Amino acid sequence: MKIVNKIQKFLFSYITFCYFCTDIFVIIMSLSCLNTYKIRYNSMHNNLSHFSLKPFISAVFLLFAFSFNVKAQDGAKIFKQNCAVCHALTDQKLTGPGLLGVAGRVPKPEAEWLTKWIKNNNKVIASGDAYAKTLVANNGGTDAMSEFEFLTDDELKALVAYVIAPPVDVTPLTTTTVGNAGEVVEEAKGAIDPLYLLLGSIVLLAIIVGALRSVRHSLANSFNKTEGKPEVPEMTFGQEIKHWMSGHRRLVGVFGIIILFVGMKSCWNACYNLGVYYDYTTQKGYKPEQPIKFSHKIHAGDNEIACQYCHNTVEKSRHAGIPSVNVCMNCHKGIQKGPQYGETEIQKIYDASGFNPKTGTYDKPENPLKWIKVHTLPDHVYFNHSQHVVVGKQECATCHGDLKKMTVAEQKTPLTMKWCIECHRKTEVSMEGNAYYDKIHKALKEKYKGQFGVKFTVESIGGLECAKCHY
Amino acid sequence: MNISYKNLKLITCGTFAVILVAGFTSCGKKDLNSPGFEFMPDMYRSPSVENYGTYIIGDDTLNSAMLPVKGTICRGFIPYAYPNTVEGYEQAGLYLKNPIALTPQVELDGEALYGKFCVHCHGAAGLGDGKVGAKLPGPPPAYNGALKDLPEGKIFHSITYGKNSMGNHASILNTQERWTLVHYVQKLQGPKTVVADSTAKAVLTATVVEKIPSPVH
Repeated sequence: MKIVNKIQKFLFSYITFCYFCTDIFVIIMSLSCLNTYKIRYNSMHNNLSHFSLKPFISAVFLLFAFSFNVKAQDGAKIFKQNCAVCHALTDQKLTGPGLLGVAGRVPKPEAEWLTKWIKNNNKVIASGDAYAKTLVANNGGTDAMSEFEFLTDDELKALVAYVIAPPVDVTPLTTTTVGNAGEVVEEAKGAIDPLYLLLGSIVLLAIIVGALRSVRHSLANSFNKTEGKPEVPEMTFGQEIKHWMSGHRRLVGVFGIIILFVGMKSCWNACYNLGVYYDYTTQKGYKPEQPIKFSHKIHAGDNEIACQYCHNTVEKSRHAGIPSVNVCMNCHKGIQKGPQYGETEIQKIYDASGFNPKTGTYDKPENPLKWIKVHTLPDHVYFNHSQHVVVGKQECATCHGDLKKMTVAEQKTPLTMKWCIECHRKTEVSMEGNAYYDKIHKALKEKYKGQFGVKFTVESIGGLECAKCHY
Repeated sequence: MNISYKNLKLITCGTFAVILVAGFTSCGKKDLNSPGFEFMPDMYRSPSVENYGTYIIGDDTLNSAMLPVKGTICRGFIPYAYPNTVEGYEQAGLYLKNPIALTPQVELDGEALYGKFCVHCHGAAGLGDGKVGAKLPGPPPAYNGALKDLPEGKIFHSITYGKNSMGNHASILNTQERWTLVHYVQKLQGPKTVVADSTAKAVLTATVVEKIPSPVH
């Protein structure tokens, strides 16, 4: 009996101890979690408001709707080959001014003046034409337009006719509608966090238990009074729990063990996810909302832009690099509407770079973009991109997943040390075709013959040495 | 005594059940905006300044991604002599020559660079038919068409400063890479029409060069 009692006592104290430990663990967890949140959200931008962009209705172009003819078709071809690099048919300023309503601006007769101007604009300026002078002055005193002496009179006629009245269906930009954007799946918001549910139910239960306790006590006492038994003195909550527990040792023991194991298992699981931005069970990684709804799918997937175009330091540096806004502007100076969010998201690049799409110049204040880093290695790990990409010839997708299919960038691999080592163990080193390594490779193969099997992996050239990454 | 405690027993069982269920459900769901637990954030985030970090020091905010201090250049960097003007462009076309000799390796390097930095606008064969180029207001002109006789200096100048719709690529390609690319672009241009080139030169020397200031160093 004594031994059983002792075991029970031990179990009880052990359970309490475990509770205590779990509590401390949870507190530390939540504290570090809070800390993390603070860092994360400090660096986050204001909440992104995205409103649906209504399709742009270009009523102005109705004016030109009826001026469709064969000549304009030829003109369209000539325009695209020679002029479209610098001029848009809208009011958008590219290198040259937008040509919307150009007929109304130039001196009369407009067709004649335009023909002269296109053929050799320098001659028109030299002739002292007043309008030509204002054009040059508006362009900051320079005239960057090329001369088009090689165009025949017929070609010029067709081109001028096209510029004055372009048919609606070949007008670039304005006809690409924003309405047919892909489905925008809004994540369901307003779902209650289970943590709050848990806390709420605990508080509710505590209130109920507290209320029932006094009710039960007074009921028991009144019952005792009628029976003629002595009144039971009121116990404190702690005393009562202790009293109840000693009366239900088996129940407490079973529940205690269950709780203990569940707690241990969840602690164990939590340890696995500690500092890992990737959930093994759900196979989901860190996927934060970025300041711009940038889609790797559209850029790298649909448009086949190489990863290195934007992450251009990947072959030269430790970091792959986040592109500066001028890299975005290399294309988005011209492409001002996206297929999914229209102008709203691209406008954010302009806000960051100080670009004014109306005038085509950088005349606004700059605001740095604060992208959120997705793939983070702890500070005590050294990782070098150029080493892996140039020397190791690794594909981006090996570690980052197929970003060409991702709308929002997500961490697709755990990036843990185990994961690193697994890859170093199985990846074979290829030194063939590199004269620099010919001798070394041969010597190493000879030296470690049979030691690493047939494979000659990263491990066999010291890829598992602690100091390779931790120093 | 036992009867009166039955409530408590039920309540306790209920509490445990609720805790367990809620505990499991909260474990299964993951907020994708949160990186998860970081046990020791100071081991993840270096106190020293790292790339792309934002550091709050006292009342100051320090972004590590910044432009170099004005007036400074990095070691070994040779500033580009020709200004980003029409005159600078013409002058580069006349006087700027490729310092890198054309070897088969340079051509291969150029092709690799072209595949990463140019192909999405200019197209694989340099016809201006890249996927991004098609979305630009005006597609880039073909190398073997309108740009057939573009001299190497002008090609280099255009990659450095950008031209028309094209932006400046000096920030992502260093001088050597740009000259390597020029070799590959010249390959895509095909053989030059010699006559047009010399006349253009004659016209340019007569009209433009006289009013140009000497190259800025």
